[in-house]
Amino acid sequence: MEPIIRFENVHFTYPEGEREILCGIDLEIDEGSFVAVLGHNGSGKSTLAKHMNAILVPTEGRVLVAGLDTADEDKLLELRRTVGMVFQNPDNQIVANVVEDDVAFAPENLGVPPKEIRERVDAALKQVGMYDFRMHAPHLLSGGQKQRVAIAGVIAMQPRVLVLDEPTAMLDPQGRREVVQTVTALCREKGMTVVLITHHMEECIGADRLIVMSNGSIVADGSPQAVFSQVELMEREGLDVPETTRVLHELGLPTDALDPETCAERIAARLR
Amino acid sequence: MLKDVTLGQYFPGNTVTHRLDPRTKILLLILLIVAIFMAGGWVGNGLMIAVTAVCMIVSRIKPRSIFKGLKPMLFIIVFTSALNLFYTEGTPVFPGWIITWEGLERSAKMVLRIVLLITDTFLLTYTTSPIALTDGMERLLSPLKKIRVPVHEITMMISMALRFIPTLIEETDKIMSAQKARGADFETGGLVKRAKALIPILVPLFVSSFRRADELAVAMESRCYHGGEGRTRMKQLRFAPRDLWALLLGAALLAGVIVLRQFGL
Repeated sequence: MEPIIRFENVHFTYPEGEREILCGIDLEIDEGSFVAVLGHNGSGKSTLAKHMNAILVPTEGRVLVAGLDTADEDKLLELRRTVGMVFQNPDNQIVANVVEDDVAFAPENLGVPPKEIRERVDAALKQVGMYDFRMHAPHLLSGGQKQRVAIAGVIAMQPRVLVLDEPTAMLDPQGRREVVQTVTALCREKGMTVVLITHHMEECIGADRLIVMSNGSIVADGSPQAVFSQVELMEREGLDVPETTRVLHELGLPTDALDPETCAERIAARLR
Repeated sequence: MLKDVTLGQYFPGNTVTHRLDPRTKILLLILLIVAIFMAGGWVGNGLMIAVTAVCMIVSRIKPRSIFKGLKPMLFIIVFTSALNLFYTEGTPVFPGWIITWEGLERSAKMVLRIVLLITDTFLLTYTTSPIALTDGMERLLSPLKKIRVPVHEITMMISMALRFIPTLIEETDKIMSAQKARGADFETGGLVKRAKALIPILVPLFVSSFRRADELAVAMESRCYHGGEGRTRMKQLRFAPRDLWALLLGAALLAGVIVLRQFGL
């Protein structure tokens, strides 16, 4: 199957910048998968995300989304409806004073007939569990709720890929859980490709694939189990690993368990 | 103090006024404003008071919310009434006084006019959601597109501004608390000192607003915003018979006020 997103030797430097932000990224993302990208501030993970819907265009190499080159300006609209993007600050991406009007913004821009917009808005709000709040004013909602409205606003566009650029960075633990649960459900139930950029290790555990970025390069790529078991590498990058992995690592056991149950089983097996 | 800002506030409801087409309401407001300025004598002014009161009752808007909206305008109201009070020639109220009967009447009418103007405008914004309001404006002004007036862009800017009023108020509050925690003093001192104390609030507010605007623009583009061309709306505007009746009533009122004016009432 053709990957939905393909990076081919992508380099990126800001016009006035000296430092290269992305240094030769090669990456393929399969349709329907849940990919988490983990990295520190300045690792280039947000820049990577912004290449996926042509907010930024590579200075060298190219990015293909569903076969479209992101550098092709004539295809910009088609590209942006294929890849929806959710940003860090929910306040700065909500455009209307009423929740349902905000969710309607993208389909309105695409010229969808009014009746279908209504259906899409209702479906999107139900999907993120915000249907009961459709008449509310966004500024009176909690951070997690606002971010879910922002996600609804993007999925009302019916994109094939949902890219979330640190959507949980400004949220409390409760809001973070809400958002991660929502996007996981979108991937598992609707088959939407999800790319979650984050610096919270625990949000990556449920992903199919975990990519670790550092200084503009990919330093680890694999299933969350495989990546987290490289404990030395993660420590070198200053990133946390789940407690379970840490315990198993300290005990010198194989570090392939992420959930507490399996971890306990491994320890019990050793003790026996 | 910032919580008192009522600009752009909307009270959801389901009264006749709420259900009128926003275009009708904008046109009605224009008719009412013209009528307020046309009303010369006390009969005409009394009629306008009655009409405004009826509108308030019909839309179930509490007088309290109107007063809240009037509060920031208090200075202008007092100022204009004082000017009219002291600078109108005529018969003094008491011999030797600067205040004249004519001045009293004129300043009373002036205050009434301003209060009615503001009240009627609030009746529009309180009963119309900002989206419907800007949508109505866009449709009403759309003939201007022919002479290359960027109508869609202007109305989009207005609706964005209305959307960000609460967000910016929240942010101002936050910055004020942060500056207070650092020992800033906004409550004491003369006018100049207080104005100067606002600088450490305004600078961060401006900087963050620019960053917000930038992020908002990227987010809008990511949601396929590309101007007004080929855009559809989820909520279609539709004229109903009640809109026609409302406009006819408004026109009749204006005509009535003009007739009364001819008779000096």
